[in-house]
Amino acid sequence: MKTYTFHVLGTHCASCKILIEDILNEQIGIQNTHVDLKSEIVSVETELDNSKHELAEMLTEKIKHNGYILSVEKIIQEKKSDDVIWKAIPIGLVFLALFFILQKSGILNLGIGGTTTPITSFIIGLIASVSSCLAIVGGLILSLSAKVAQDENEKTSKKQFILFHGGRLVGFALLGGILGFIGEAIGINFVFSAILGLLASSVMILLGLNLLGVFKKSKLTLPSHIFSYFRKIEHATFAPILIGVGTFFLPCGFTQSMQVAALSSGSFMSGLLIMFSFALGTLPMLALLSFGSVSFAHSKYAPLFFKSAGVVVIGLGLFALLAGLVGLGIINPLFSI
Amino acid sequence: MNKTASIIITIALVIGLGIIFVGGSKSKDNTSTATNHSIQNSVIKDGVQYITINAKSGYSPRMSTAQAGIPTKLIVKTDVTYDCSASLAIHSIGYQKILPQTGETEIDIGSQKAGETLQGVCGMGMFSFQIKFS
Repeated sequence: MKTYTFHVLGTHCASCKILIEDILNEQIGIQNTHVDLKSEIVSVETELDNSKHELAEMLTEKIKHNGYILSVEKIIQEKKSDDVIWKAIPIGLVFLALFFILQKSGILNLGIGGTTTPITSFIIGLIASVSSCLAIVGGLILSLSAKVAQDENEKTSKKQFILFHGGRLVGFALLGGILGFIGEAIGINFVFSAILGLLASSVMILLGLNLLGVFKKSKLTLPSHIFSYFRKIEHATFAPILIGVGTFFLPCGFTQSMQVAALSSGSFMSGLLIMFSFALGTLPMLALLSFGSVSFAHSKYAPLFFKSAGVVVIGLGLFALLAGLVGLGIINPLFSI
Repeated sequence: MNKTASIIITIALVIGLGIIFVGGSKSKDNTSTATNHSIQNSVIKDGVQYITINAKSGYSPRMSTAQAGIPTKLIVKTDVTYDCSASLAIHSIGYQKILPQTGETEIDIGSQKAGETLQGVCGMGMFSFQIKFS
């Protein structure tokens, strides 16, 4: 039994430790893997006779698709990532600028007259998915997707996104049905949705900073229970579904209008159809965000993508946070889009 | 891309975003009023002052003035409004409601004191309007 230590590259989060240890311990002849995140060192005990270099290559093969690399010599990557951030910031800002220009342009003020039918709610969903609602719903999806894509392999990420979007569609349909069935009896609580919005924007800002690699130097700056909470979100099966359903309650003028339309529709079926078609209308844009994240995350542009996404997500998160505080009447309006 | 160029582009973009945020709204004010100008949008009928605000992709007029000291009602007009401006909150009087897609909603705001400003915001907070009483 021999003990080797390797340098590890790509450990960006607390859960990386667990993931690497789990994978390596599953390999035949490897035991007692220990990852030290602070010094980026992995130690393993092995009964194999391979040389240290061979082992590094062999084990890297197993964790490569998760974005980790083991090496005998420490790989210096600081310089490179420094360049990436200076490309990522302008790219992220361009996307933010385009988004807000779109909001200001008035292109989205399409008149849709008459009563709310499933077809009109589908069209409203399409509009909503590129409207200011994208700041909060889309921003949250982009931040979570990029985070999941960064931590998980392609297959697991895709599975989680399918669960998320499926949960969202089914959740909207059922909750819409319930609204239609109950009718005017319940009101949609402003404060609840506003607080949820503040929570979502805080998550976005945190994940955005994480994507930018701000926490890279000191990975455990956040209380560890917050990290274990995020780990649960990332790894569990029901969590993506729950978050998908939860987007129903996020503050978005369009969603709220559709909820009122579902409320006054008078029956379970019509409420269900209205909210389902609305969610279906928002699907193309949101699916593009999450599945686009996976494709980028597993391409050679991954570092640039993560950092650009981080910039976009922080921008949208700040916007949503400030707007949310205004909506609650805590601060005065700073801007008008 | 070299670093200096990136920094210059970044600064330019930040300034651009600043202009987008702080600059007045273009398409929303059909009356071509600038952000800080007030227009007359109130009538007094049978001793009650009615102030009209249009809600669609924001509120217009964003700024208006009205008379203080008389019973006042706000009329918020929606015209196939699905966006955030349909969910209206006026915190000073504790009013929160999701307005009908199309129609007029009358809100009793009582009689306001001179010098007070009534502020309405949409549920998500990115649209707002103000009425100054004098």
